[in-house]
Amino acid sequence: MNLLLVEDDLDLGNGVRIALANQGMDVVWVRRLDDALRTLDGGTFDMVLLDLGLPDGDGLDLLFRLRRDRQILPVLVLSARDALNDRLRSLDDGADDYLVKPFALAELLSRVRALARRSYGFNDETIRMRGLAMHEPTRGVIVDGEPVELSRCEFDLLALLLKRTGRVVTRRVMEEQVLPGGQANGSNSLEVHISNLRKKIGQGYIRTVRGIGYVIDVQSLARSTQK
Amino acid sequence: MMLSLARRWRNWIQPSLMRRLLLAQAGVVALLWTMVIALLLYDSYEDPELLKLDKIFHTVIAIAQNTADRPARQQETLAAFDAALLEAVGDGNAASDTSPVLQVWQGDRLIYRSTAAVPVILNIMPNRIETVSAGGREWRARTLVSTTSDTRVMLAEPSIWRLTVTILNRGYYLLPLVISLPFLVFPAWLSVRLALRPWRRVSQETAERGPADLTPLSYMPPHKELQPLVQSINSLLQRVRDSTSRERSLIADAAHELRTPLAAMRVNVEALKEQSTDERQRELMGNLLRSNDRAARLVGQLLQLMRSDAVSDSALPVMLSLDGLVQDRLAMIESLASARGVELELECEDSVPVLGERESLVSMIDNLVNNAIKYSPTGGTVVVNVSRDGSQALLTVADQGPGIPHTLRERVFDRFFRNPDQSQSGSGLGLAIVKSVVDRHGGEVRLGETASGGLLATVRLPLAVAEAPQPLLCS
Repeated sequence: MNLLLVEDDLDLGNGVRIALANQGMDVVWVRRLDDALRTLDGGTFDMVLLDLGLPDGDGLDLLFRLRRDRQILPVLVLSARDALNDRLRSLDDGADDYLVKPFALAELLSRVRALARRSYGFNDETIRMRGLAMHEPTRGVIVDGEPVELSRCEFDLLALLLKRTGRVVTRRVMEEQVLPGGQANGSNSLEVHISNLRKKIGQGYIRTVRGIGYVIDVQSLARSTQK
Repeated sequence: MMLSLARRWRNWIQPSLMRRLLLAQAGVVALLWTMVIALLLYDSYEDPELLKLDKIFHTVIAIAQNTADRPARQQETLAAFDAALLEAVGDGNAASDTSPVLQVWQGDRLIYRSTAAVPVILNIMPNRIETVSAGGREWRARTLVSTTSDTRVMLAEPSIWRLTVTILNRGYYLLPLVISLPFLVFPAWLSVRLALRPWRRVSQETAERGPADLTPLSYMPPHKELQPLVQSINSLLQRVRDSTSRERSLIADAAHELRTPLAAMRVNVEALKEQSTDERQRELMGNLLRSNDRAARLVGQLLQLMRSDAVSDSALPVMLSLDGLVQDRLAMIESLASARGVELELECEDSVPVLGERESLVSMIDNLVNNAIKYSPTGGTVVVNVSRDGSQALLTVADQGPGIPHTLRERVFDRFFRNPDQSQSGSGLGLAIVKSVVDRHGGEVRLGETASGGLLATVRLPLAVAEAPQPLLCS
């Protein structure tokens, strides 16, 4: 994977470059906006990691130009600005993700991978999570090698949870995105769907966060199922 | 009792502009009065009228000459005339201090004197009014010598000094002053008090200021004495405001600038840690990363604090549903909780609208919940509750940690204050941020105790008036 890293800070740029190279990624590192533009013209990249405060301009200018010329190139913004407005502006301007400095390397890597997956055509991929495999275009779900029949709602809920593995999906988001409006009024219809889903795929995957939502953890549920 | 007396005394002796004004006015009145008295006295000192009346002298001379051959009749007539004179000028009593004195000579023989109490008064120059000392007193005296005989008439009045003393002794002029001064002072006090009303308004507005309110005074008096005062107060406030905002932006900029080196440190250490297989080295690098985390959190909280403290001009309050916001934030924070083996739980009512600034409220919720997670034992539960309570939105966060001792519950809201007994790392800014946000939203935050001894943080915010309850769901 070819990455363009635009970061003016020497230590940070170098660190990220080495860390990503350790993961087998090819990183071209530039420190100025005009260098970034030149480099982008010269080569093909799969992704841009973009710092916003650059010595010769704002990273958002680059983002703007990228979106004008190359529609699909994913951009992950790395910024010290953590105000909501800054995030929203970057995302509105076409950034695919936004990471506030200082970030954990693991988080950077996971976001880079997630972005890469998405840009390679997420829909065609089978998402695998422990014994669970889901193929979205055919709406097929396989648990421990056995195909499982899911209703439309159940499949959508599972897809939502699987795509955000490790992050809690709030009840509100689930109700808004998955359940048809009529069903949202029944206070426990979400519980009913989840309960049905659990019966079909097994108890070990979906963890309830009471009052907040549901999550499929990256690691096994061993700890939380103790309770 | 003694204390209040002492305070009252201190209060009384403290210099007061009102008293200055009143004293000045009373002083001016007294001065005017004194001048009036002085003028009167001067007038009376200016040769007594009586002595200028030549006719009296001539009449006395005529009486003395015409009755020279009958001494008894002469005495009688002179005495009658003297009595008439006393009646007209003095108080009718020849022995009185203020009475004039008449003495008549023929040749060297004193043929008449008003009273024996006053010794013979001799003028040096005839026909001139002179000050003569006689009988231990000062007199104004004039002697007229008859042009046709050797008859001399001397008329004397007690001198001015005696007169003044007499007048003052009797309080003739002073009494009205003493009586009228209080009547002059009270209206003066009242009028000054009325006139100083704008002054009191300015001082009242200044006194009612909170420490954070640095906006200019709203009342600008039109009076030329007060305007400079208010203007200089306002320009002082402006300077303080400027320097505060400079300080604030300096801290914000510094915190902001710290983020990049912190990120660089973190990325490099992490990359190094991945390559290292030496357990001891990895442990040391783990320590580095933890310190880095703490510094990063501190920087983040400093920025939050600066943002929540800033007199927000840009951020307009918007209608938010507190229940939804809390649910979103808890979903974000949950990974942190589960990494620490802490369970998060939300109980909430539907539709709890508040008017507020989203980002501040987010940092308030984050800090409260992060605190609760941090002090929870592994396997503990953090219960967050959102509900309505009358006209208030109620947010409570309860944990199963050690709680905060009663005596420290106010102090933990101070910046950088940390409970000395606890070992968890922290910046001591979290609750300060919560307090600042809650204050800005016109709410209140209290720390209490749960049944199991954990910390129960309660935040009350004014409930926004929603036109219609929105059917938002969250169990």
